[in-house]
Amino acid sequence: MESLSNTTQEKKSLFQLIRKYNKQFIGLITTILALLFISPYIYIIFTSIKPSSEAISNAPTFFPREFSIENYISMFNQMPFLSYFFNSFITAFISTALSVFLGALAAYGLARFSSKLGNVFLLITLCIRMIPMISIAIPMYIIINSMGLIDTHAALIITYTSINVPFAIWLMMGFFNNIPKEFDEAARIDGCNIFTSFLKVILPVSLPGLATTSIFCFMLAWNDFLFALLLTSTNAKTATVGISEFLTAYNLDLGPMTAAAVSFSLPVMIFSILVQRYIVSGMTLGSVKG
Amino acid sequence: MTKESKISFLFFAPAGIFMLIFLLFPVMLLIKDSFFQVDMISQDSGTFVGINNYIESIKSDRFLGATTNTLIYVVVAVSAELLLGLFFAMLLNTGFKGHGLVRTILLSPLMIAPLVSGLIWKFMLNSQFGIVNQLLYDFNITSSRHAIQWLSDDRTALLSTIIADIWLTTPFMMLVLLAGLQGIPVTLYESARIDGANKIKTFFYITLPSLLPVMVVAILIRTVDAARTFDIVWVLTQGGPANSSEVLSTYMYKTLTRYGEVGESSAMAVLFIILLLLLSSYFLISMFKANKK
Repeated sequence: MESLSNTTQEKKSLFQLIRKYNKQFIGLITTILALLFISPYIYIIFTSIKPSSEAISNAPTFFPREFSIENYISMFNQMPFLSYFFNSFITAFISTALSVFLGALAAYGLARFSSKLGNVFLLITLCIRMIPMISIAIPMYIIINSMGLIDTHAALIITYTSINVPFAIWLMMGFFNNIPKEFDEAARIDGCNIFTSFLKVILPVSLPGLATTSIFCFMLAWNDFLFALLLTSTNAKTATVGISEFLTAYNLDLGPMTAAAVSFSLPVMIFSILVQRYIVSGMTLGSVKG
Repeated sequence: MTKESKISFLFFAPAGIFMLIFLLFPVMLLIKDSFFQVDMISQDSGTFVGINNYIESIKSDRFLGATTNTLIYVVVAVSAELLLGLFFAMLLNTGFKGHGLVRTILLSPLMIAPLVSGLIWKFMLNSQFGIVNQLLYDFNITSSRHAIQWLSDDRTALLSTIIADIWLTTPFMMLVLLAGLQGIPVTLYESARIDGANKIKTFFYITLPSLLPVMVVAILIRTVDAARTFDIVWVLTQGGPANSSEVLSTYMYKTLTRYGEVGESSAMAVLFIILLLLLSSYFLISMFKANKK
């Protein structure tokens, strides 16, 4: 009798041990796979801090054998990168402010006062998502050209805003729908009109939503390549177009190219890790709840 | 009610006017141009040619080739992303110690520009000093350091662009599927265990069906995005060699900028939109219905 209960206990603890070990084993495997998965990016960072001769060595190694900022120096020597970065930033920033402003206003109107129009709008937004960027780019080029705005910041700001506004409305509607209507009603009893209750009550409550929407609008503009390639040439050239030119104009200058790619994307990567909460909520909002 | 809708309209108007001018008008212009022979330089309205542009595009072999390549790109990239994403999501969902950190690592490429992903793979797949060929050689899979001309061989060029796409967007797939997995009620798993279902059965009868709605939406989003791909292909191969990796976006871009054929590229763009809308109308309708409920 005693021995029987002993063996079952042993069996049980052994089973538990395997289970526990199992979980850690899965953890270990997943960690290794995750590191392997992002290794291309780490490799680019390592390459950018190699001397340029080592960066294009015939027998490449993952880890740098020698450390050097040569690639970063020649990146700045070959191209006015600071002004490209400035162009990228200013167009992304202004278009984000515009789209979030217009989008939040429109979303509030739709979410609070007309659910039918809101539903129709959801469908339109989804249709706009279907339109290939290149399709919009063709008429946009003609319009911008006839306005005489080719190669200006305004050309990019207008384009990014027009792509981002429907998306901003859609995201913000999701956030406003989660705010109870009692909030507005209470504010109005306290003597606010519709606009002041929107500004003083609704907007402050929906700050996380505004943050999420801003991040997505900014990233679309910052990462854009197609429109910048088509609509700018020298004055308003953005960083993406500048980086891509290492592949053509400077005869495959790959060392400085990796330096430029890292300078362009590493801040974004660190930023996106810091604000991951907002990004995750924005990405899962549309697909899991919608 | 009328006052309410007036206010609603007032809030909506600024965005509405902006979209009317810079979104609806361009789309209208696109449709109009697709019926005209437009000259980019002289800026006149062009001559009406009916559906000639459409016939020209459909008849051209390059358009058909680009369409086929786009379909291959979408099917291969999205299925690979789905499988890889599901794999990682299920591993993370086991909730091992430190899964939050691993999730952060896996999500870090989420916001990288497609252009940068293209550059990274352009560098890694380079036939002379790319590390991919070096690794294949080190592991004795290929017999020389320059065995595979990834980007300049017409058999591997399209595959290379697909690899860059898979790397860039698997994190998105994983994120959405993980959120879906975490939304499956624990009681479902408990009752399955009581009924004596093993792990494989639980996966096929509980996990997959519960995950299906999320999966469908994720596939839709990724299909549309993959079909619109431009940056990655442009940086890696520009559609070459010999149009072997030409997708619809790059072909339209070339038709517009290199050959100045506004009419024909507009016609192709309209066809492309119709194709995508048809492809996703089923998903759209079901999503719209679900949202109404």
